[in-house]
Amino acid sequence: MNHGMTRRDFLAVSAGSLALTRCSLVSGRQPQPRVSIVRAAYTQAIYDTVRRLLVEHRVDVRGKRVVIKPNLVEFDPGTTINTHPMLVHAALEGFRAMGAADVRIAEGPGHRRVTMDLADAAGYFETIPRFEDLFIDLNLDDVSQVLLRDPFSRLNSMYFPNTALAADLLVSLPKMKTHHWVGATLSMKNFFGLVPGSVYGWPKNVLHWAGIDECIADLHATFPRHFAIVDGVVGMEGNGPIQGKPKPVGVLVAGKDMAAVDATCCRIMKIKPSAIRYLLLAAGPRQLDEANILQIGETIPHVQTPFGLIEEWQNIRL
Amino acid sequence: MRSLQNPDGGWPYRKGGGSSTEPTVLAFLAQSVDQGDPQSIERGMAWLRATQRQDGGWPPQPQVSQSTWVTALVALVSRDALGVSRHARAIDWLMGQTGREASLAYKLRNELLGEGGGVIGKHEGWPFFPGAAAWVTPSAISILALEKARRYQMAGGIQQRIEIGQQFLIDRICQDGGWNYGRANVLGVEADSYPETTGQALLALHGLPPAKLEKPLAAAQAQARRCQSAEGLSWLQLGLQAHGITAAGPARVFPHRHVADTSLGILAQAALRGRNLFLE
Repeated sequence: MNHGMTRRDFLAVSAGSLALTRCSLVSGRQPQPRVSIVRAAYTQAIYDTVRRLLVEHRVDVRGKRVVIKPNLVEFDPGTTINTHPMLVHAALEGFRAMGAADVRIAEGPGHRRVTMDLADAAGYFETIPRFEDLFIDLNLDDVSQVLLRDPFSRLNSMYFPNTALAADLLVSLPKMKTHHWVGATLSMKNFFGLVPGSVYGWPKNVLHWAGIDECIADLHATFPRHFAIVDGVVGMEGNGPIQGKPKPVGVLVAGKDMAAVDATCCRIMKIKPSAIRYLLLAAGPRQLDEANILQIGETIPHVQTPFGLIEEWQNIRL
Repeated sequence: MRSLQNPDGGWPYRKGGGSSTEPTVLAFLAQSVDQGDPQSIERGMAWLRATQRQDGGWPPQPQVSQSTWVTALVALVSRDALGVSRHARAIDWLMGQTGREASLAYKLRNELLGEGGGVIGKHEGWPFFPGAAAWVTPSAISILALEKARRYQMAGGIQQRIEIGQQFLIDRICQDGGWNYGRANVLGVEADSYPETTGQALLALHGLPPAKLEKPLAAAQAQARRCQSAEGLSWLQLGLQAHGITAAGPARVFPHRHVADTSLGILAQAALRGRNLFLE
């Protein structure tokens, strides 16, 4: 999809936003991020829950282009691997109701090329009316090159799908999961799906060589206009993101600050946020500190559900 | 298919998109099945000729300033149509590519750390993107491209590289008999195989005796029965047909979602009728 934005526009936007992110980190004058923890189930009630979250966080999308980025990974008729279609639909309806001019759903799975078939098997076609018209396969989208300023990784530039680059707001809708390479995969890691397979392959192995954690931090800096709703109704523990076991937690975790959202998810999973390297790179220890995050709704102790960890990640236990 | 061809002669992955190398090659091959529309074919070929890079490779899209694995796909089209010189440069580019794990430095690192289980870097495959590790898909397509090139005896070492590439694939057979996108085992856990990569690997191993591939051929037939995508089924049909087996698919008919999987469907149907363009 091309919304008429030139490559120069993309470069200017990304460079400007990156500079802002870095400046605010240095000055330490960021407002305290707000993170909501709400009870949820995969029922009709999730539509109201999501709508309330968007109102609570004053997500202003009037007249804006919104791209919802779920986590589609593997064929799974259950609810463990992929973001649940009801949550995706609830977000779609929620942003439409908030006045967004255009809301799309977009994803670029890391291993499988058959994205639409994955979505079909995950129940997206069944749950979301006109899904095929609303969905963009980011792996096959037209791309533009973006220069990375002060990158954390060894990459100086990356190609990104024009759909993602043209979005006024990117909404990360990941599953709450453990991950065998990075410890936990939440809203920030979900942006790996913005990297186009048509350029980098399946898997997007260039990013592994450039440093997975560093690339996640680069993606976070490159796409600063974001909002996150983590699907923790049923998460995944153990050998995630594919071969783990279902872990019911019964919550959604949401906010504008992805580092704060992910740090809160880690605490719910009983994982040390500061032990997740990409969070530390992207945000620094202060921003991950519980005292610096304004929690809304349920308290962490009320919903805390220790996630099983594989042997290699036992040291991240909170 | 013809209605989706862009004015510049290339094909997009999906309607309204810019022209990309992969769908253009697959659409070109699909049109070649029944001789297609000569004008459409020539415009597609002109787009391919025009997008070759100085280094001999092709980018996935013209706006990408890097040659990638799609070069192997382009090298599958007829040398006469592409041009002898262009084809030769493409093969040279492919011969120069290996997975980064095959480098001496990486092998040494693995030795020191005791990682890799003896498989990583042992046999050289091809990466999707230069500088990354080798994977099943680009390796299988590169082997097929080199097999076509071997007929012209264009460069020394092609046969050896094909054999090493085939060994790369054999090293990566999963416990269930098929192929995953990469290694068969990650962090001590067996990986499940995929229909797409299993079909591609079987295509690239078409010259091997059936006795050596008994388990993969059985796995591919089982996958075909429970496959959940048109693209997966097409690759399985192409791979199995290369070994003389007609795959019985599931009862369900899958929708074709974009130019690439529609083209693959046409190519798979042609293979079932006895014409496998990946091997011609």
